[in-house]
Amino acid sequence: MADAVRTGARAPAMDRFSLSRLLRARETGVFFALLVLCIFLSIATDGFLTSLNLLNVGRQVSLLGIMAVGMTFVLISGEVDLSVGSTYAFSGLATGMLIIAGWGLMPAICVGLLTGVAIGLINGVLSTYGRLPSLIATLGMLSIVRGAALILTNGQPVTVNIRNGADAGVLETFSYMGQGYLFGIVPMQLVFFIIIAALAWIVLSYTNFGFRVFAVGGSAKAARVSGISVNTVKIWAFVLMGVLAAFAGILSLAFLPSGQAGRTGLGLELDVIAATIVGGASLSGGEGTILGTILGVLIIGVMRNGLVLMGVSPFVQELMIGLVIIIAVGIDKWTMRKRG
Amino acid sequence: MRFPGVLALDRISIDFRPGEVHAVIGENGAGKSTLMNILAGDLQPDGGEIFVDGKATVISSPLVSRAAGITVVYQELALCPTLSIADNIMMSDMAVRSVTSLVPRENMRREARAALARLGMGSLDPDTKVGRLSVAEMQLVEIARAIRQNARLLVLDEPNSALSKRESDRLFEVVRQLRTEGVAVIYVSHHLSEVIDLADRITVMRDGRTIETIDNEDVSEDRLIRAMVGRDLGATVQWSLQAEGRSVDNDVVLSVENLTAPGLDDISFHVRAGEILGIGGLPDSGKDGLGEALFGLVDRKGRVAIDGVDLRPADALASIRGGMSFVPADRRGAGGLLSMSVADNVVSASLPRFSMSGFLRRGAIRREARAQVARLDARISHLGQKLATLSGGNQQKIILGRSLVTNPRVLVLHEPTRGIDVGAKAEIYSILRGIAGEGVAVVMISSEIPELILNAERVLVMRGGRISGELTGAGINEQGILARAMAS
Repeated sequence: MADAVRTGARAPAMDRFSLSRLLRARETGVFFALLVLCIFLSIATDGFLTSLNLLNVGRQVSLLGIMAVGMTFVLISGEVDLSVGSTYAFSGLATGMLIIAGWGLMPAICVGLLTGVAIGLINGVLSTYGRLPSLIATLGMLSIVRGAALILTNGQPVTVNIRNGADAGVLETFSYMGQGYLFGIVPMQLVFFIIIAALAWIVLSYTNFGFRVFAVGGSAKAARVSGISVNTVKIWAFVLMGVLAAFAGILSLAFLPSGQAGRTGLGLELDVIAATIVGGASLSGGEGTILGTILGVLIIGVMRNGLVLMGVSPFVQELMIGLVIIIAVGIDKWTMRKRG
Repeated sequence: MRFPGVLALDRISIDFRPGEVHAVIGENGAGKSTLMNILAGDLQPDGGEIFVDGKATVISSPLVSRAAGITVVYQELALCPTLSIADNIMMSDMAVRSVTSLVPRENMRREARAALARLGMGSLDPDTKVGRLSVAEMQLVEIARAIRQNARLLVLDEPNSALSKRESDRLFEVVRQLRTEGVAVIYVSHHLSEVIDLADRITVMRDGRTIETIDNEDVSEDRLIRAMVGRDLGATVQWSLQAEGRSVDNDVVLSVENLTAPGLDDISFHVRAGEILGIGGLPDSGKDGLGEALFGLVDRKGRVAIDGVDLRPADALASIRGGMSFVPADRRGAGGLLSMSVADNVVSASLPRFSMSGFLRRGAIRREARAQVARLDARISHLGQKLATLSGGNQQKIILGRSLVTNPRVLVLHEPTRGIDVGAKAEIYSILRGIAGEGVAVVMISSEIPELILNAERVLVMRGGRISGELTGAGINEQGILARAMAS
């Protein structure tokens, strides 16, 4: 029997850190794809491999990345959230309007984040106790939240500046969050992304909550049998997603510094899901890592940046991004059997 | 415990003692699974009491069941395939720890390794993903988890249906070891030789009752089979007796030679025109894969021929054209088009005949549907009624109608009356006899022994993917079928 047992699980404890296991990891494939892409762009363009451009890429992907981190939790838990683009718009615009109304920075941001919490909570409750598939629940919320943003702003652009009533001191800090550079070189958006990704990595890999997210998405039945509250875990994943989408929306307004409910973050949910899936998270739940998601976000960001540098038309860019999604996930599925 | 219209368990009494292996055996539908579901807290009894350590306990939920020290290892395993062995074994420990606490990885590995070692599985790496294990290993992981939860009553529900001989042997060793540690093990199984080998006491169930509990001393397989049979078939005249030898002079329509497919090993038989051939056997005997293999839904080796013409393997369309029709067991999933109308269902297997240049001939469809509904005496309100809204019996009649519209030479039925009430069953039987009477070769694959006895002119019993016996005429009885299905 000992031999029979081994056939299924040939890896003894010793090679936990072995090269073969490293090569089998999903992230490794994405990492090599990113590496090849970077090497290609370094040769094909002059501007790619400069610290300025790389930091620029880092800034460009930060908002997408912050949201993809949240999406990683939701996908691993076996759900999906389509409402994040709308949350991004609503929470950002709401925060902007409060600042224009003369609120302090922290109260305005806190209220903005709370709208994200509320939307996440609704998504979570509908998808669990409400027994709606999250695809449907969040599709509905996509529309509802977008509509709420339009009503809130009356469809008018929200521009955060002194002329519109923002306090000068508040505006300075707010703008720094979106446009500033740490030590004069690292974009603040990237700093936020790195901090959030690091925290998320710790939560997902090292805490009991992260464990439960994997358990719930891997097999809801097994989790339930073990006494884990499936609904609670899923709702928390949605809330986390909501907060992160709200925060990305706030940063976006701080960067631009204007937004419009009819346009801001339109279709963004698809980019977020695409980046997360390219990074190895599975739509059927139970699989995904923060590292993979970061790589997925970078692939899409580097791709966009490189195509711009090479002077490829934006229309072709869209097409290429689509191909990357299909090929990246396809390679994983087509080689699945070999990885067993 | 009542299911709609059926008394699944009827005033049963059974006790389990620490440090014993208590086997529960019985035919399909004897109530074994219902009893286990009650112990697991998944179902609530309508009456009676359950005592744990002499204390009356209401097992109102799976959580209560586990708190009482009861763990059920189901056939369909409750494991996370994407998580590691250690994660799965320790999952319930994690569930009681603070949600903000860190995951004690090293500790989990050590504990998991210890739990595995207790089962003699120390060679398994606790970091291995459960999805990569064999079914046997998964089962042992579940047992390891149960032990971690300090199970005092461990229920193994047909644990070895997917295991190889060596793997079962390993499982039995584990069970014996648990017994010496004072765990009460309930072992639900169809395999009499194993039961006799392993159990201290054996409880026989039949028709929702506990027939007897026997101390396992010099018990023979024969003795157990005798306890399991004895169902009263009532005064129904056995059609199979009247039909004996009726089709013996007819031509062979379906011939199957050396059929090998997943779960099937070198099956050969033939069916004559007008004959109803019954196929019986236990759930893991291979009979449940026979219909799919014959009809070409799975790949196969060997020969399947109708009127001497070979059917192409793995090609259901060719089978239909060759004159075979298949009624699968899963009526709601694979059988009927639930969201479509009665009329659409009736013609759905013969669309070319009912369409012209790609357009449906609605008039012809309605005429044919009306004719089949009348012939099968299906009770529907109108031809446009959705199949989903019909009772099980009427659904099955419509699906039979769909088969008949294809003018089959061979009709293969898998569990033709599963989930259908008694009255409708009798009607289906009479329809099938009528179909056979018109010269169609009928293959009836069924878990319900009375159904085989009542209808089949000849019964083949399967065991371990092979045909273990053939019964005809008065030889078709419960004891004969069970003996060939269960005994080694």
